[in-house]
Amino acid sequence: MDSDQEDFVFHGTPIEREEDHSSRKKKALAESSGNLRSLPAWKQEVRDEEGRRRLHGAFTGGFSAGYYNTVGSKEGWTPQSFTSSRKNRAEVKQQSLVNFLDEDEKAELEGRSLAASSKFDTFGFTAAEFARKQAEKENRSRPSAIPGPVPDEIILPAAESIGIQLLKKMGWRHGHSIKDSHSSSLYEARREARRAFLSFTSDEAKPMLSTSMPAENNFEDVLDKSAEDDDKSPKITPVYMLKPKQDLHGLGYDPYKHAPEFRESKRLRTAGGRAHGQRARDNLFGLNSGNIAPGFGIGALEELDVEDEDVYGSGYDFEETLIEEAEEPAKLSIELHNNRPRLTDKEHGILAGFQLASNSDYQLERFEPPRIPKEYEPIHKFSGPLEIGSRLSDPPPLEVAPPEDSNLKVLIEGVATLVARCGKIFEDLSREKNQSNPLYSFLNGGKFYDYYSRKLWEERQKRNQTRPLLDRDDSSVSKMTAETRGRILGERPLERSSVAPISFDTHAGVKFHTNLVDTFTKPIVFNELLKVSKPFKDDPAKQERFEQFLKEKYQGGLRSTDSGGTSYMSESVRARERLDFEAAAEAIEKAQLAKSSTLNKHSMEFSVGAMQFTSGGIEDAKSVQVDELPGKILPKREEFQWRPSPILCKRFDLIDPYMGKPAPAPRIRSKLDSHFFIPDSFKASGTEEKVASRGDALPMTQSQMSENTNLVEKEPEVQMEIENVERPVDLYKAIFSDDSEDEGETSAVNKVENPEKKVEAANATLNRLMAGDFLESLGKELGLEVPPDLPPSLDKARDPLHKEVPHVNDIGNSTVSEFTKEDKSLEARELVQNLSIDGKKYASNDSLHKRSDDPSFGSVPQNDGKMRSLYDQSDSSPSEDERSRKVSKRHQYSSYSDSDSSEQRHHSSSKRRKSHSSREREKPSSRRKHSKHRKHRDKDSPERSRHRSKRERDESKRDKRR
Amino acid sequence: MSASDLPRKEVTVLKGHEGAVLAARFNSDGNYCLSCGKDRTIRLWNPHRGIHIKTYKSHGREVRDVHCTPDNSKLVSCGGDRQVFYWDVSTGRVIRKFRGHDSEVNAVKFNEYSSVVVSAGYDQSLRAWDCRSHSTEPIQIVDTFSDSVMSVCLTKTEIIGGSVDGTVRTFDIRLGREIADDLGQPVNCISLSNDANCILASCLDSTLRLLDRSTGELLQEYKGHTCKSFKMDCCLTNTDAHVTGGSEDGFIYFWDLVDATVISSFRAHSSVVTSVSYHPKDNCMITASVDGTIRVWKT
Repeated sequence: MDSDQEDFVFHGTPIEREEDHSSRKKKALAESSGNLRSLPAWKQEVRDEEGRRRLHGAFTGGFSAGYYNTVGSKEGWTPQSFTSSRKNRAEVKQQSLVNFLDEDEKAELEGRSLAASSKFDTFGFTAAEFARKQAEKENRSRPSAIPGPVPDEIILPAAESIGIQLLKKMGWRHGHSIKDSHSSSLYEARREARRAFLSFTSDEAKPMLSTSMPAENNFEDVLDKSAEDDDKSPKITPVYMLKPKQDLHGLGYDPYKHAPEFRESKRLRTAGGRAHGQRARDNLFGLNSGNIAPGFGIGALEELDVEDEDVYGSGYDFEETLIEEAEEPAKLSIELHNNRPRLTDKEHGILAGFQLASNSDYQLERFEPPRIPKEYEPIHKFSGPLEIGSRLSDPPPLEVAPPEDSNLKVLIEGVATLVARCGKIFEDLSREKNQSNPLYSFLNGGKFYDYYSRKLWEERQKRNQTRPLLDRDDSSVSKMTAETRGRILGERPLERSSVAPISFDTHAGVKFHTNLVDTFTKPIVFNELLKVSKPFKDDPAKQERFEQFLKEKYQGGLRSTDSGGTSYMSESVRARERLDFEAAAEAIEKAQLAKSSTLNKHSMEFSVGAMQFTSGGIEDAKSVQVDELPGKILPKREEFQWRPSPILCKRFDLIDPYMGKPAPAPRIRSKLDSHFFIPDSFKASGTEEKVASRGDALPMTQSQMSENTNLVEKEPEVQMEIENVERPVDLYKAIFSDDSEDEGETSAVNKVENPEKKVEAANATLNRLMAGDFLESLGKELGLEVPPDLPPSLDKARDPLHKEVPHVNDIGNSTVSEFTKEDKSLEARELVQNLSIDGKKYASNDSLHKRSDDPSFGSVPQNDGKMRSLYDQSDSSPSEDERSRKVSKRHQYSSYSDSDSSEQRHHSSSKRRKSHSSREREKPSSRRKHSKHRKHRDKDSPERSRHRSKRERDESKRDKRR
Repeated sequence: MSASDLPRKEVTVLKGHEGAVLAARFNSDGNYCLSCGKDRTIRLWNPHRGIHIKTYKSHGREVRDVHCTPDNSKLVSCGGDRQVFYWDVSTGRVIRKFRGHDSEVNAVKFNEYSSVVVSAGYDQSLRAWDCRSHSTEPIQIVDTFSDSVMSVCLTKTEIIGGSVDGTVRTFDIRLGREIADDLGQPVNCISLSNDANCILASCLDSTLRLLDRSTGELLQEYKGHTCKSFKMDCCLTNTDAHVTGGSEDGFIYFWDLVDATVISSFRAHSSVVTSVSYHPKDNCMITASVDGTIRVWKT
């Protein structure tokens, strides 16, 4: 066999075995055809024609993506989503072959379409189409930057015709004119830039796809023209540029969408504009002349060249378009009326499509001003003579003795008054009426005409005086004549002194205003009041108001609502001031009356007394007695200031009368007083005394009353003396007197009358001092000694503020201590100062003080008169003192232990015992309390504890009051 | 109104209080009445039908005065336990207790808007309490009295208090002013006339005094009854034509307002007549007495 084999002669190349070559292919084929089907799904492999497995990516399915590259879904096809046939009625779908073709089938199909080969593709249609397809294909094959199908409009593959290709091969470029170019590259660049700029201005930038033909045309043009004209070369091949957006509309907005006729007009206009421009360009230098840069001149030998064109300046055309846009209507009208010259400014506002009317119907009507009658005079003339002026300027007629006949006199006076009131007309009337009546002869210049005229003048003066007095007070003073002044002052002319006052009731039964005025006026009083007393001297404004008030009070008649600048004051302030004024006026009036009866020296005292009112705001209480019926003492009415809390006002839905005003500053004096105890005896006897005095006072005559008030007013001085005598010490001074002396603080205070008593009292008070402990301890702390004795003159130095301090003898010692403790803080600085200065003098004299304790303790009783006077003083003094005393009296109940005063207390509380049956029962218990207190006192250190409790109570009290 | 129209016929006797009845008050429309007494209770009655409606118990001591808001929703009461109780009428619970008086509280009143309670105490003070806030502190303390304040009256703008110190003090909130009318005799009870121009003050000298509020003038004095040691009410009739008040001997007196003559007096109770209250519209009156009864009088 082998030999056989060797004998074979091989010719040619042996045919390659197909197995090796396409084993994979076959395998794939075999697998795909049959046996693979039998395999379970997870063993099946999908391979392409080449038998390769396709890997889709590790995370996108690997080799088995898309159901092993078979279909897009489990079912095999993407099911059509349900669409309701209600809206979309089964539309017949136009199906074409393409719908059913695969990609590669399509590709095959494509090859069959008829197209010009690129060789003969003169206009590049085929090339363009081909290029497009090529691009598409490329696009599909490689991932593009823009996901999804790129719109054809954006990517336009350059399709060049064979001609352009040829030109390009010859060195031509897009945008170049076809000529042999000798110009530099710079030149070219500049021209290109310019051209681009120009193309902006032109409306028709050709869309690329449609430009092939015009381009060719242009080429022809260019080729034609380039030979003849080198320089003038705006005819160039257009660069493919999209239409620039030149308007201000939104993207895609077409203003002429629904009005194509306007698009036409716009096109016309722009065309006209360009035609204009092109016209300019047509002549040789026309174009350039419009575009020469403003800064650069041309030399004499130079030609105006393209290079000299203003590249950066806004082109002529550009400018014009801007203007066109702005002034569209005007432009339009220009277009429409070409024959007409430019429209004037006035016609600018015409709407497009409207013409100005040649003549308007509207005409401005003008009226003649009213004619002023010739006899008109711009100044008003009064029919009668001006009375006021004449009245004051006329010399007064002479004083004439009144007629003896009283009737006649009354008549004359009455008529005069009437005439003064009603004017001259009344005189004329009555003269006419009573011509025959001999009684009225005085009107006609009869016997008593002089008297009548005098009376008339007087009445007029009076009217003149009384009426304007309310508003002009001081100004009238300067115009006063002797007569008027005399009248105001109540001085009557001597002749008339015997004459009875005018009574109008007898005459004609008419009551006159003047009559009223007469009855209400007390000229004597108020003028003298004004003269004599100025209680508000230190506050001129207030004084003025006070005078005004007096005038109004005594003047009667009408009152002006706004009296003298009080309008800015609040209602409450005004009311308070009014109260002040009334009180002051009353006091002054009484004083005045008293003055007339008594000596002149009192006048000094009104001012003193009246000065009380100046402090009005602080002195919050004035006892204004109202309507005391004769024989009935009570009820007695008093008024106080009372400050309701803001929340109370709010709850009562009222406006806080003290809104915005600071709380009244606690007065030192009242504070002092509140710490001193007045024994009940004081109070009780005082009330009785008061009642008695009132009972006495009432039946008094007016003058006596006034005297009494004078006395009351005078009392302060007297009482001050008394107090100075009685009051042993001012406490501070009692304690620290030598310091004050050392410091030279001695103020002008009355001398002590009985120094021994003073000293005794001072010692007593000091002995009772709880503060003794305090002082001692303080002294110890400071390392000082308290002086063993106090100099007798220590009470000299006394603060005038503390004048109303009640009798010290009656002060419970605990109070004193309390007081000192209380005011410790207030006076701490002073105290410390004093101590540091002369502390050594404060030897610990506690024992000494205690020794003198006993005698002074019982030295309470005072003589009655003094107490009464004191009480009166307190009565006339502001109520706060009184109130505080009451408060202090209250304190006594718990603390006071003197037998004397306890008796008094029983007396005073007898009323209360009566008041309620149930209280009867409680009385013993309260008394028990007292007794307890007493017991406490006997104990070791009772005072301190009591003192503390009381202080607390006091403080709470004060807090509450606040 | 003639004397025959005076309520002199006893219609009902309201019994229930154990011990003395200290006050009996009509409510604002006169359909109900409140009473309080030494048995530490407040009782609500219908005096016209003679029915006892409710009892309010919370006070620890005798209840001295009670007042009801115009809308009948709240009560205020005071008494010997030094507290002022603010009640809810329907539930009978105490809404608030105002403590602060140092001793017994004699009288209590609501203001017009029922927002403030003013109480008068034996501690010589008037205290105003705020019903709207939850604070139990007084919003105002008036301590200018120098003795126990027995009675209090309120107008729209004023607080009027009568005290044993003999004064009737009017505190004008609007003007910020206090007017003290000193009657010279301990004032037991004050009551306003219906036109609010006058104050009737019962004094312990067995005299009722009628004061003109604007001037402080004493208009009239009414005498004949006995009033020396008890807190006894007095009031004017609804027409302001007569003055009425009780007496310690159990009588009730009617005076003519103008000429102060005793028009009628009759024995109403066996003991002291502590309280009288006149119906705001009708001729009807209730009286309370120490004998523990409340009697309703009609014409």
